[in-house]
Amino acid sequence: MRVPLSVYLLFLAPTAALAFAFFLFRPWWPRGTHWPILASCAVVSAASIDLAAKAYTGWGMDAPLGVWMAIGNWDVYFGVRIDGVGSAVLAMVAVVGALIHVYAVGYMREDPGFSRFFLCFHLFYLAMIGMLVSNNFVQFYLFWEGVGLCSYLLIGFWTHKPAARGAALQAFVVNRVGDLAFLIAILILLKSYGDTRFKHVFEQMAYQGAPLLGLVGLLLFVAAASKSAQFPLYFWLPDAMEGPTPVSALMHAATMVTAGIFLLARSWPLISFIPDLPWLIAAVGAVTAVFAGALACFQTDLKRILAYSTVSHLGLMALALGLGRVGAAVLHLIMHGFFKAVLFLCAGNIAHGLGKSAADISEVGGLRRSMPFTLACFAAAAVSLAGVWPFAGFFSKDGIIEAAFDGGPVWTAFALAAASLGAFYISRMLFLVFFGPCAEQGAGPERKPGHPHEAPAQMGMPVAFLAMLALFAGLLAPGIGRLLASGALPEAESLVLAHFSWTVFAAGTAAAGLGFAAAYYLTMVRPGWDWEWRRGHPGLESLVRSDLGWRKVVSAVAALGWRLAEWVGGALDHRTLDGLIESSAPATVSVGGALSLKGGRLNDYLWWILAGTAALLGVALC
Amino acid sequence: MLTALWLVPAVGGILCLFAKGRTARYTSAAFAAAVLAYSVWLSVPYGAARGAWGIVEAGPSWIFGIRYHLAVDGLALSLVWLTALLTVVCVALSWRQDFSAGYWSSFMFLEAALMGVFLSRDLFVFYVFWEAVLIPMFFIIGLWGSDGRRHAAMKFFLFTFFGSLFMLVGLLALVTIHHATAGVWTWDMADLAGANPGGRMGLAVFISLVIGFGVKIPLFPLHTWLPDAHTEAPAAGSVMLAGVLLKMGIYGFLRVLIPVFPKLVWDLLPWLGGLACLNIIYGSLCAMQQKDLKRLIAYSSVAHLGFCLLGVLSWTPEGLAGGSLQMLNHGITTGALFMMVGFLYERTHCRGLSDFGELTGRAPWMTFFFGWAVMASVGLPGLNGFVGEFMSLAGMARAIPLMAFVAATGIVLSAAYSLPAYQTVFWASSGAGSASPKVSDLDAREKVLVWVLCGLMLYIGLCPTPLLTVLAPSVAAIVPYGFAP
Repeated sequence: MRVPLSVYLLFLAPTAALAFAFFLFRPWWPRGTHWPILASCAVVSAASIDLAAKAYTGWGMDAPLGVWMAIGNWDVYFGVRIDGVGSAVLAMVAVVGALIHVYAVGYMREDPGFSRFFLCFHLFYLAMIGMLVSNNFVQFYLFWEGVGLCSYLLIGFWTHKPAARGAALQAFVVNRVGDLAFLIAILILLKSYGDTRFKHVFEQMAYQGAPLLGLVGLLLFVAAASKSAQFPLYFWLPDAMEGPTPVSALMHAATMVTAGIFLLARSWPLISFIPDLPWLIAAVGAVTAVFAGALACFQTDLKRILAYSTVSHLGLMALALGLGRVGAAVLHLIMHGFFKAVLFLCAGNIAHGLGKSAADISEVGGLRRSMPFTLACFAAAAVSLAGVWPFAGFFSKDGIIEAAFDGGPVWTAFALAAASLGAFYISRMLFLVFFGPCAEQGAGPERKPGHPHEAPAQMGMPVAFLAMLALFAGLLAPGIGRLLASGALPEAESLVLAHFSWTVFAAGTAAAGLGFAAAYYLTMVRPGWDWEWRRGHPGLESLVRSDLGWRKVVSAVAALGWRLAEWVGGALDHRTLDGLIESSAPATVSVGGALSLKGGRLNDYLWWILAGTAALLGVALC
Repeated sequence: MLTALWLVPAVGGILCLFAKGRTARYTSAAFAAAVLAYSVWLSVPYGAARGAWGIVEAGPSWIFGIRYHLAVDGLALSLVWLTALLTVVCVALSWRQDFSAGYWSSFMFLEAALMGVFLSRDLFVFYVFWEAVLIPMFFIIGLWGSDGRRHAAMKFFLFTFFGSLFMLVGLLALVTIHHATAGVWTWDMADLAGANPGGRMGLAVFISLVIGFGVKIPLFPLHTWLPDAHTEAPAAGSVMLAGVLLKMGIYGFLRVLIPVFPKLVWDLLPWLGGLACLNIIYGSLCAMQQKDLKRLIAYSSVAHLGFCLLGVLSWTPEGLAGGSLQMLNHGITTGALFMMVGFLYERTHCRGLSDFGELTGRAPWMTFFFGWAVMASVGLPGLNGFVGEFMSLAGMARAIPLMAFVAATGIVLSAAYSLPAYQTVFWASSGAGSASPKVSDLDAREKVLVWVLCGLMLYIGLCPTPLLTVLAPSVAAIVPYGFAP
């Protein structure tokens, strides 16, 4: 099979850029590290759009490129798979990622770790790109873990902040739990089929099955849940806000959290093959969507609100996926990438304008005058997120609500609740930050508003571009729908997008309207009321702070593990086992002393020798 | 041709002893480099031979069938490379230290003895070299170690000697049993292969050999010498201990236990594999609460060697190759880690986790490379550790799946012990009385050493096939003994 140049460029450009940046720019001109990297972003974006265009016309490829590990007839290959789903997500990731790179140049300009930041950032990008075009599970795992490593390095980028270190560690370890599940799934597949190419696995699975296939599906879901922050394993994501804002934007919009959903979409033939697993995924997704959406309403840090919002949207994607609408889930993944990137970058602009690394809604307010441009972008993304027609978020959210309608009333309730909550928290944030009189936050004269100002053009332009996408990418929805279904793996019908329905439109819009109205009432009509109420109920407040107690459970489990390690390493290994061995030497000496073995008298020794020989002879003769 | 591999360093060791002052260091460097060059060159005749046993060198039979018999196959060759490479690294790494001639000559003798172990095909010769390894190592720990060196050296010697005695008795019994059934005296591994001594006597011999090799691996619960020895040894000593000496145990499994006792190994697989899993989990848990950087790495070795053993026991091509490759990987990665701890110790005379902090700005290269090696050690795909672990696990998943799944938890645990330690040393803010101000970044010599090892990590991680090709004939020769599916 002829491999198009674009495929090679996807790997070569970032690798070469990283090598140049590391070996030439970092030592000689660290402030210019971003130049080769931005060039590589441009190349990768062009290449991925080229591939998406090719895939749109029905072209696709799935071919091994080279051997990774091989012994006897056991082998694992590097390969490339380009199909509709892969290239659609690839194009989104490449373009959104590239724009965030441009933004980061402005955001990180003053940071002493500028060049380190760009190296890690681009490696992150490379890992994500590599994952999207993998054609087998082991290679997917390689880049999957690469994404995990880069997120670790970037969340903990400001190593001097204890919270950043803790969040980085937590993210990596929680992701490793998912990686463990993924690894075991791969081991089972490898054992059953001797190969992990998606195509072969799905073909062989269809006609011969496997004993542990159900477990494989479940483990893949656990892996996806840890990466894509589904309910029990979501908690690392809000904490990951400790990294610089461009990192959050990249993680939430383009890389990292989309990886889990993509894994599920990729292995959908396998997942749907297992009875009840899609149902479980939908249930977990529904719970996550509503749970995180509700928590987002209580957050005060700008980035934390957005983080919980991401968790909620990932829940919606999982819900759609579980209900068999892979196409809707992937479409939402793409649209979410657009508007979430804008929201994060706007939050970054606000914090940047205030001269801080993070901003709290109790500290900012009434920014509409000083930051009108940011307001415009933020509002565009907010209406998109809320699912208002005719903006991008509407088209994908509509598909999910439609899937829930088909699924049944319970799913519908969850989907609409999540939609409503989404509209609520995002408009609450919009009102408080840009319109609110800043009085309701209750902060006194000690509040320091700084001198809010617009960010420089370099940071503004990418945001504007992304905001256009968040507004108008809906026009692309039919095209994306066609792209998704081309060159698909088996069960392509799950990728076809649903048709427009007035019922769904009405329900979705009503849900969004409800959230919007509630937010308007709470922030503009009766400002400060909810803050008063929350101060009056400290018990509820602390419950919300600990995510309804789940965070306490997690830290208790971690503490338990730590105690176990302390017991094993201290009491068991050091004191008992090694203590026993260490005491054998003094014990020998004292036994020898007691038996007068060390008196130095030759006669004693001779007697012992005689006794020993006699004993041995006795044994030998018996 | 093979004799040179152990004779040259031995001669070098003797010359070092007579050399004055700095010349000892140059002598050892010259000899170590020569051995490395020669061992790399060996791949040419080895490749030309195209057999499992590429190069053979055998003398006439002596009493009781003992025969000087050396041979090299892919497995032995890869370990010869590892030994030669790490010896060069050790010499270069101690370059600035003002050690007496004995230090340099000890490393030469150590290399000689290790080469002998990996090349011997005769069990008697094997045993002689095996014991010879102890002597230079005893001196390296006992004379040039840190504060608790005497105790650690004594413990190391007694412990491993205790294991060796079991091994000696086991080997004697094995040869005697074979004589009783086959009627010939032979110590040759090739002749003893497939002997399968059965009954209670066979089991007793098997267990004593497991103890003999298990002490070296080290297999739980025979591992407690290791943290002390690794911690107290000088940096180069730790590199050799972790990098090469531990592999002798796995090598014993591959060369003696599996070929000679295939049936027992297969029957006892749940037990041995269980011990390997226990090594992984227990070693990781112990590592998690260590306060001393060297002890932490030492316990992580216990865990990593569990992966090697697991792969080897799986008796599948990918498992055997993965386990063997993991021996090299662990040698390179842990070697690099111990080396960098050595650099820190050289500058500050501290090893405690909390003695450091805030090194990102002060020593960026060290932070970078240490992080790199830590990532290789936690098995990040793309670096070498993953390839070995993954192939070992893939092999075990075919033999006893549950065991592979249990062992796989090692990847979570390894992150849980390595990264907090890394963060404490390099990222965290330094506390009062911190040694960090004394830390300077890597100099050119140190950087070259680390680049070589870290480059190998990346190369093996992405392109392990050349090494796997070298290992393939040895693996193919072991698989037929197997009862595996």
